[in-house]
Amino acid sequence: MILYDYILSPSCYRVRLLAALIGRRLDLRAVDVHPGQEHLSEPMLALNPAGTIPVLSDDGLVLTESTAILSYLAARHAPDWLGEDTPAMRARVAQWLAFSQRLTDSAGAARAHDMLLAPGDIDALRGQATKALRELEAALSAARRRGESFLAGNRPTIADIACFPHVALAPDGGLPLDPYPSIRLWMRAIRALDGFVEMPGIHRLHELKPEPGPMPEVIRKEQA
Amino acid sequence: MSELGAMRDQWYPVAMTKQLTAQGRDTLLMGAPIRVFADDGGTPKVTDGAGRALPVIDRFGHVWTSLGQPEKDLFTIPEVDQPGRRLVDVGVCRVRCSPLRAVENFLDIAHFPFVHTDILGSEPHTEVERYEVEIRDDVDEVWATKVKFFQPQAAKSAEGGITTDYMYRVCAPTCSVLYKTCPPKPEEWDVIALFVQPLTETLCDVWPYMALYDDDAEMTDLIHFQQMIFVQDRSVLENQLPALLPLDPGREIPTRADMTSIAYRRWLKRHGFTYGAQLVAA
Amino acid sequence: MIESDAPVTLDDSGDTVPTDWTPAALSDDIPAASAAPGQLGAHDLAIWRSASGRIAAWADRCPHRGMRLSHGFVRGERLSCIYHGWGYGEGGRCVRIPAHPELAPPEAIRVPVFSAAEASGVIWVAEDAPDSPPPEFPGLAAFRSLQVAAAPEAVAAALGGTGTVIEATLAGLSVVALIQPLRDGAAGLHLLAPEDSDPAALDALSAAVEALRRRVEAAEEAAA
Repeated sequence: MILYDYILSPSCYRVRLLAALIGRRLDLRAVDVHPGQEHLSEPMLALNPAGTIPVLSDDGLVLTESTAILSYLAARHAPDWLGEDTPAMRARVAQWLAFSQRLTDSAGAARAHDMLLAPGDIDALRGQATKALRELEAALSAARRRGESFLAGNRPTIADIACFPHVALAPDGGLPLDPYPSIRLWMRAIRALDGFVEMPGIHRLHELKPEPGPMPEVIRKEQA
Repeated sequence: MSELGAMRDQWYPVAMTKQLTAQGRDTLLMGAPIRVFADDGGTPKVTDGAGRALPVIDRFGHVWTSLGQPEKDLFTIPEVDQPGRRLVDVGVCRVRCSPLRAVENFLDIAHFPFVHTDILGSEPHTEVERYEVEIRDDVDEVWATKVKFFQPQAAKSAEGGITTDYMYRVCAPTCSVLYKTCPPKPEEWDVIALFVQPLTETLCDVWPYMALYDDDAEMTDLIHFQQMIFVQDRSVLENQLPALLPLDPGREIPTRADMTSIAYRRWLKRHGFTYGAQLVAA
Repeated sequence: MIESDAPVTLDDSGDTVPTDWTPAALSDDIPAASAAPGQLGAHDLAIWRSASGRIAAWADRCPHRGMRLSHGFVRGERLSCIYHGWGYGEGGRCVRIPAHPELAPPEAIRVPVFSAAEASGVIWVAEDAPDSPPPEFPGLAAFRSLQVAAAPEAVAAALGGTGTVIEATLAGLSVVALIQPLRDGAAGLHLLAPEDSDPAALDALSAAVEALRRRVEAAEEAAA
C-alpha cells in the first residue's frame, strides 16, 4: 500500500494516523509539495489529475480523497473504525466526514496561508473556521453530556480521524483553541489512543510517560 | 527608520533563488515593502517601495538584500563549496514571532526531548553537558563548540540513537549555521543553516538551508525531515511571552545550558541589533 | 482588574454575592492531570489540575524562556513546560530542570501564583486571596462555557441582567450565567443549569445559548 505523502499535510496525516492506530504499515512516498510543487508535476497529475495529496495506491486501486482512503483502510483492516453499529451511527460518521471537508477548506486554508504563504482571504477563512469549530464544540459538549467521548459514539471512528488534524492544527492558522473546552478534551482522548502518532505542530502527550528518574549510569559514562 | 538601528545595514534573505520569477515576490523587510524579482537576464533584483534598487547578493540558494549600506560582504559558509555535499533549499515557513527568537531557538538543544521527541532527543537523556561559548572578535561571530547531545534519530541518515556533536555559529543578527555529526562521513560535519527574514518585529519568514553528505536519501526526504523539525518548533515560537526577545537580564532565567543564548543576546545588545528585541524588562 | 468593591447582583430580589472572584472555567473542563489557558483581566493564566485533583491558576509563562505553561504537561503534582520540561510544583516553585537533572533549582525560580477555588462546578480565580469563598449555587450544575465576541455588558444585557452573576430563563430552564470579561472586548459565558435537567432540555438550552451568542455578536458587529 503506497501513500503519496507530505509531512506537513493534515490530509496526509489523517491516513498516517489511522494506519498507525490500526497497526498497518504504509509505504510512504514523499512528494515535494513545498517548495517543489511536485504534486502539480506530470507524473503526479497522471496519478491524480486534481493535483492534490494524499494519493493511495493499492493493487491497482488509486484513491485521491483522504476520507475515501480512511474508509478503505478501515473496511479492509479494522471495520470497527467505520462506525456502522446502527443506521444512526453510520449516518453520524458520514455527516462528520463531510464536515471535515469544511475544516480543510477553512482552518486548513488559513494554516496554509499563514505558514506556507498560500493565497487566500484570511479573515474570511478564519470566520468560516470559527463557525465550524463552534459547531464541533457544541456537538462534542452534547456528546459529553451523554457520556460519549467521540464524534459518533463511545469509541473513535474514521470521523474523528478525519476531523482531528485540521482542528488540532488550527492555531497554526491564527485560530486559538482556547474557547473550546470540549474540543480540547476530545483531542486529548484521541492523542491518548494506543498507537497514536504525531505530526509537526501537534506535540506528544508527555504526561502519558512517567517522570524519569536520574539519568541511567550507562548513558552518563557513554556521554563523558 | 531609526528604530532599525544597526540592523539596517545588514544582509537578509528575501527569496529562494530557484523560485524567483519575473513577476516576483512582494514582501517586507523590517516593515518596509520590497519587491524581489528576476530581470530579463534572470538576475535577481530587489527594489524598495519607491522603486529604488537595493543591493543584491545571490548566495546559498537565496537572494539577499539590505535596506542600508552593508560595510561587510555577506558571511561565507566554506563547507558549501566542498564537492560531494548536497545543497538543500528547504523552502519558506512563516512564523508569528520575533526573528531573534527564531534564531535563539535554533541555538538551543535542551528542548530536543520535549519538542522533537524521539527524533532529536528523548527522556531521560535530557542533560546538557558543559560546552564552550565565545564571541570571536576577529570574525565578529558567536560560536558554541563541544556541544553534545544524545539523539534517537539525529538525521535522516542516522540509524538508531547516537551522541551527536554540535557546533553553532551566529554569523548575522538573523542567521545561524550549525555543524553536527555526519553519520555517513564521521570525519566531516553536516551543515544546517537558518536564514531568517525579519518581516516585522514579530513576524518572520524562515528559510532553512542545508549542505549535507548523504548519498542515499531522496532530496524530498531531506527537505521533509528539516521541515518537520522546524514546524515542531513553530508552535513554541508563536507562544512565547513577551513576543520580543528580552535583552536585559531578569525577565528570563537562563542556566548553563543556555550559554549560547546568553552570548547571542549579549552580542545583539553590543551591536545595537535590537529590531525584534525588548530592551527594558516589562 | 477585579472590581472588588462592586458587589455583583445575583437576582431581582436584591440579594448580592460579594465576590472578589472571577469565573474562569468549569471544573469538568479541566480534568485531573491536565492544563488549560485562562484569563484574569490582563493576566494570561495556566489553569491546571494535578493528578490528585488539586486545581491551580498560575501565570501562563515559564520563567525560563517565556513559553506558555498552559501548553505544558502534568505529571503527578507538577506542571511542566512543553519547551524544556522545567517542572513546577507547590506554590509555583521550580523543582526540576531536565537539562541539569542533578541540580536543585534555586528557590527564586517561581511562577506567579493566583488564587483558584471551585464551587458548584465552576473554577474561580482571583489576583489576591479573597476573604470569602466563591459563591455556591445549590441545585445547579455547571453546563457549558462559551466565548462571545461581544462586550460583557452586552452579553449581560441580552440575558436581562448586569454584572457577573445573572439569573435568567433560557429554553424554559432557570439558569445562572456567570460572565467573565476577556481581552479584546470579548466575554466568557459560564452557564449553570438545574441539576436534574434531562438531555433533551439541555440540548435545547445549548441551542438557545448559541442563538443568543449569534444575536449579541450580530448586534455588536452592526454597531461597529
